[in-house]
Amino acid sequence: MSKGKAKSEEINETIRSEDNWEPVGPTPMPEMSDLRRWDLRLLKTYKPFYSPFCDLCCFCTYGKCDLTGDNKGACGINISGQQGRWALMFALMGCSAHGAHGRHLIDYLIDKYGEDYKIDLGGQVAVEAPHMRTVMGLKPETLGDLRKGIEYVERGIIHGVSATHMGQEGSNIDFESKSLHIGMLDHVAMEVADIAQTIGFKFPTSVAETPLAGLGWGSVDKSKPVVTCVGHNAAVATVMIDHFMKMGTYDQVEVTGICCTAIDNTRYSDKTKIIGPLSKQLFFLRTGIADLIITDEQCVRCDIPDLARATGSALIATSDKISYGLDDVTHKEIDEIVRLITQEGKQVLIRDVDKAGEVAAKVLPIVAKGRKKEITTKEKAQELAKECKACGLCDRVCPNLLNISAATSDVRDGKFEKMADLFAKCIGCGKCEQECPKSIPIITTMQAAASWDTFNIRVGRGPIHDVEIRKVGMPIVLGTIPGIIAIVGCSNYPEEIEEIAEIAEEFAKRKYIVVLSGCAAMAAGMKKDAEGKTIYEKFKPDFDAGGVLNVGSCVANSHITGAAMKVANIFAKLPLRANYEVIADYILNRVGAVGLAWGAYSQKAFSIGTGCNRMGIPVVLGPHSAKYRRLYLSRKEEDDWTVMDGRKKELINTEEPSPEHLSIVVESKERAIITMAKLCIRKNDTAQGRQLKLNHYISLYKQHMGTLPDDLQNFVRNDKDIPIVYKKEVAEYLKSVGWKPKPLLTLPTLIGTYESNIPIDAVVR
Amino acid sequence: MSLPLHYVNVLTGLKGCRVIEDPQALGKIIKKSERPLLVFGPRCPDIFLNGRYAIEYGVDIVKAIGAATCATACTKKKLMEYGILPDSTYDIIEIINHLKDPDWKGVKKQGNHDLVMFLGVRTDLGNQGLSTLKHYAPHLKTVTLCPYVYPHATFSLANLKADKWKEYLEGLIQSLKS
Repeated sequence: MSKGKAKSEEINETIRSEDNWEPVGPTPMPEMSDLRRWDLRLLKTYKPFYSPFCDLCCFCTYGKCDLTGDNKGACGINISGQQGRWALMFALMGCSAHGAHGRHLIDYLIDKYGEDYKIDLGGQVAVEAPHMRTVMGLKPETLGDLRKGIEYVERGIIHGVSATHMGQEGSNIDFESKSLHIGMLDHVAMEVADIAQTIGFKFPTSVAETPLAGLGWGSVDKSKPVVTCVGHNAAVATVMIDHFMKMGTYDQVEVTGICCTAIDNTRYSDKTKIIGPLSKQLFFLRTGIADLIITDEQCVRCDIPDLARATGSALIATSDKISYGLDDVTHKEIDEIVRLITQEGKQVLIRDVDKAGEVAAKVLPIVAKGRKKEITTKEKAQELAKECKACGLCDRVCPNLLNISAATSDVRDGKFEKMADLFAKCIGCGKCEQECPKSIPIITTMQAAASWDTFNIRVGRGPIHDVEIRKVGMPIVLGTIPGIIAIVGCSNYPEEIEEIAEIAEEFAKRKYIVVLSGCAAMAAGMKKDAEGKTIYEKFKPDFDAGGVLNVGSCVANSHITGAAMKVANIFAKLPLRANYEVIADYILNRVGAVGLAWGAYSQKAFSIGTGCNRMGIPVVLGPHSAKYRRLYLSRKEEDDWTVMDGRKKELINTEEPSPEHLSIVVESKERAIITMAKLCIRKNDTAQGRQLKLNHYISLYKQHMGTLPDDLQNFVRNDKDIPIVYKKEVAEYLKSVGWKPKPLLTLPTLIGTYESNIPIDAVVR
Repeated sequence: MSLPLHYVNVLTGLKGCRVIEDPQALGKIIKKSERPLLVFGPRCPDIFLNGRYAIEYGVDIVKAIGAATCATACTKKKLMEYGILPDSTYDIIEIINHLKDPDWKGVKKQGNHDLVMFLGVRTDLGNQGLSTLKHYAPHLKTVTLCPYVYPHATFSLANLKADKWKEYLEGLIQSLKS
């Protein structure tokens, strides 16, 4: 439905349209189809590519319906529509997870501080919420304003979910448009959540050089009582740490975490330790090092109560999203809950943050007393593996296609080298154990083979500073900083975890800006050089050429995309306010940013990536992500690459596929590196910038492929673009393929190439 | 329907592959093709089969029938070491994206291919890509040459042990040469 007067008035009131920080742009608080024409323009070039998991639709009682060939379901949907529907559902799940996290934090913090609690991100961050400003048109000032952001996201989710119902949307393209919309909302939700926790828990902000924190399961001092927080919501941990401090026992305990709660715990206190990413959850919890496990939300194993029981760890669940069938003791007195846990050995659900934090602080020293925490020895592992017949059933269920049987049978024979290699690639699902006819606890045997080294990670710093954007805005847009490489997402890696550090280092050495978050930020810290330094100790932590920075947990991803928006705003002076289409167009054509989600597995990662795509940021995915079933690919040079020259107001066929894809899966680390270097190319690059980008693309391609890139002709516009070191070689190659110079642009934009209310002048500053 | 080796990554559907157990029969199918393409995945230079790498068998197949070639990931460098300059160097998803289009000109610009063989791609990624082709490329036949059942392929090998696979590939090459 189009917006009526009442709706417009409601929006004006929500965003305080009378505030004059910027004029209100064309799309304040857009609804699901308000940016549809932008989506359709993107999808014209970057068409959805589908890899169905199965041939059927089994959503309603009409079915199952065969969707192969030209078949349609009983409702009329075809295979593409069904894949589009899956894509929308994934995006909704991801957005909802971040949104619910944000909602929980805001409700908790408003309860604590009141809705008028001010947003203050420090002296270096004046553009505090680029997503809220750009998407909604609201410049948030208080926690109450952040709540408006979440309410807006919640409203969008209802409409999105509704569209997935049987007998609603049928077009795959419109499903994709809705996915893109939900992906955009996800970035609003993440931004709201991270600003809320930054101001509420006083996380670092406006500082680049945050402290280093301990990383790795080997960094945990198991002689102390150990609490391990699993999930993505640090609220309970912050209260627990406060209690430890108040009791004067903080130095006597180890506060550890897995996944993003761990990242955010270090933002609250750099004395906390990060055990590792999701892929090490089962491995670590199986060790029994954790005397107490606290679960919150997202990426938490569903069998933690069983794991805790098996090792004798105490368990407190704290989220209504993960209740595990446990007794809800929220209403009971603290002393009674402590008694239930410590004397009756009960696992409990406590849905009150403050109560859960206090209980945790009180029970930890008690439950830790007398517990033996022994890591599986080589002798013990050999004993556990003695029944292995190398039947290979474990190999057949490994999602990472690993040769588990060879490693396990070696352990049986007292050899651990293969198991150590396997552990580096293991994604920690435990399916191998389930399949083993001899019930060998394979993950447990890994304790004897794994490295117990300790590493460092730089504590998440939150938003990119406005002053940093002022410094790098021009070189990014001109191309003389070759690109922003955002390495994000989960730990479903196809090969060794160390690949993340290797990729990050490759780009940092080449003076790209490397930004990390979440599990990828942890993984990047899990490799040391010959001097024992991790990537965080080798490169400066600034948002600048050659910098390597950790912004924080999953929800801090919004600061990475927010930085691209800030380039448009702070450097190019484009207004953000309710001006999404113009800002996304600017980023697509001028900001050489690319995301890498090498181990993406979650719906959140899908949603984040889809949000990046709507704002013109391409995303490279690892091989496992083919199971998301949808990508956005161009047909490279065979597509129409016409754009508008904003200054001349002329349509120009650039013949240049840049950026070439919006969402692509690649097979290997080396190919990912080459692809990312190419995806940083933008139509706006100056000759100097293009030379630099091509220099990296060519050198990487030659290193890994042995020749000049065979699509080089697509990216050389004229002689000035050719890198000097390759001048002769490239000139000869271009001649051999019949290359001709391409038209030059002064201001590339898609605005004007499709029907839109946005005037071309809106992109000219 | 035969189960694939890595059955963890594969769900069944209504349209499954035909497992060709006789290499001579597969040879006949391939020889009927007018514009065959062999896609080399990144695993084929690493798979060692008692004296020869899988990539060498791929090279023999290409030479036997004059098939067009596509090197994915970073396989191009290895192929060149074996004396083959691949006709194209797309990544796996990109070549599949092109193959979907019946009007695509193919890697040699002579028209889209009618039969595509795959060798050395990760099974999970390969299976997803074959699903795309099963659903969106009815104009072409797909053949997998790895020793695993690929349910979404048109023609697949059975799940084979290394020695049987080697035997199969040798039989196939002999058939293609005859």
